[in-house]
Amino acid sequence: MATTGTGRATADRLTTGTAAHLRSFLREPVHLALLVAMPPLVVEGYGRAMSSFPEMPFVSTVPATLGRVNGAVFAAAFLAGLIGLFQVVAARRADDRLAICGFDRATLLASRLGAVLAVALAGAVVTFAVLRWQVTPEAPLVALGALVLAGATYGLLGILLGAVLPRELEGSLALVFVADLDTFLASGLVDVDTALVRALPLHYPHELFRAAVLEGSVATADLRGAVASLAVLLVAVLLVYTRVAGGDHA
Amino acid sequence: MTATDRPAGEIGGAGRGRTAVAVFVAGLRQYARTPVLLAMLAVFPAYLIVAFSRLTPETTVPLSVPGDGTEIVALSELYAVVLTPMVGALVGGLAGLFLVRAARGADGRLVVAGASSRALVAARLALVAAVGVLVAAVGVAAAATTYVPERPAVLFGATLLAAVNYGLLGGLAALVVDRLAGVYLVLFGTMIDFFLLQNPLADDGDLARYLPGHAPTELAVDGGFSTAVSAAPALSGLAFTALLGAVTVLALGRSLRTS
Repeated sequence: MATTGTGRATADRLTTGTAAHLRSFLREPVHLALLVAMPPLVVEGYGRAMSSFPEMPFVSTVPATLGRVNGAVFAAAFLAGLIGLFQVVAARRADDRLAICGFDRATLLASRLGAVLAVALAGAVVTFAVLRWQVTPEAPLVALGALVLAGATYGLLGILLGAVLPRELEGSLALVFVADLDTFLASGLVDVDTALVRALPLHYPHELFRAAVLEGSVATADLRGAVASLAVLLVAVLLVYTRVAGGDHA
Repeated sequence: MTATDRPAGEIGGAGRGRTAVAVFVAGLRQYARTPVLLAMLAVFPAYLIVAFSRLTPETTVPLSVPGDGTEIVALSELYAVVLTPMVGALVGGLAGLFLVRAARGADGRLVVAGASSRALVAARLALVAAVGVLVAAVGVAAAATTYVPERPAVLFGATLLAAVNYGLLGGLAALVVDRLAGVYLVLFGTMIDFFLLQNPLADDGDLARYLPGHAPTELAVDGGFSTAVSAAPALSGLAFTALLGAVTVLALGRSLRTS
């Protein structure tokens, strides 16, 4: 009975925490604008910008379509990454105090994760809808799943960076430089396949998404790689958030 | 009569100069006290330029170079040159955004205490330019590990111009959006401007000419691959910076007086 009561209390705290974090995100009109207005701007911006590129020998896709595909992955991933980063940077002291008051640090992290994943899901749905306006994905459900994976991966990366680099400018610098290299190398403008490129967080979600949209196929190896990246990041976040981010104060 | 005896806005030119220098030096000291940030400002731009130019496949592309016609250049060399002003813009934009956000509260109180808003704005913008100088130096050195530009000083100037332009835009963004939206806009803006629209491999579109990355990219390509550097991109870039600088000084000064 006591275990059930504790479990219910934990679930209540988790639900309350996630709802509170989501409300604080949605309270800012500019965040809603980012969630709704930026995906069309990013997807179409990438599409139009890439349409001015000549067709390259190693790319069989029309540049504008490739641009929209790249833009969709960027739009789904980067917003979730920023939310993960700023959720942790802004909440570090509050979470430390809650941990001192007896809140389980894993529950606090789970509520942050819940909010980040909810925004990642919403961002992926909006981005997917925007993409469908100009590009018809061959395997829509897999494509949507790949966008959710991209968002979740960057959400976790943002949380990890926020826990390791708890100042806004440093965390933002780290996130944008990872995102820059990630997006460039996955853009299709260069034909690179090295171990370093495969280790970048967006590599597998990007490959999965591109195959689902353009070929209608599910690349099992890419799916495994994307899930493995997510799992590694999740473990790293759990370790860092519970040990480094205030764990010594709790 | 000391500065503190004067009503706000009546400090003379020398006082304004002293305030600007004091705030600028204090800002530099603050940077020096955060070695992690300094290391990141140096390491990240170098990492992006070196990693990307080294990972680029060994292929050549035709490039239109002012004064030299069309040259065939290695793609890795082209990206080493083109990415240098882009990282300048990225770091400058973030520095402008966070500097203005962090300093607004304190600067607002200094204005109430009698400090000149123009002096404070000048000091903050000078700090953004200082970050630009650091990133430009690191960027040119990193690019040189892949390709030594024909005129490194011109590539340095192009990177500094990009950092200052985007630093001003970052400062303006800090007045209207929060940090999350600001970082998003800086990354998306620099990526689409420099990497896609200004990319020398793309057709020169009409929109690209009116964006802040146009003059720095033209200047960087000139400095990277031509010994005959055209003055036109430098002049148009400086004109753009002057216009943007005037708008930023007005907007930041106004925000300090009304905060």
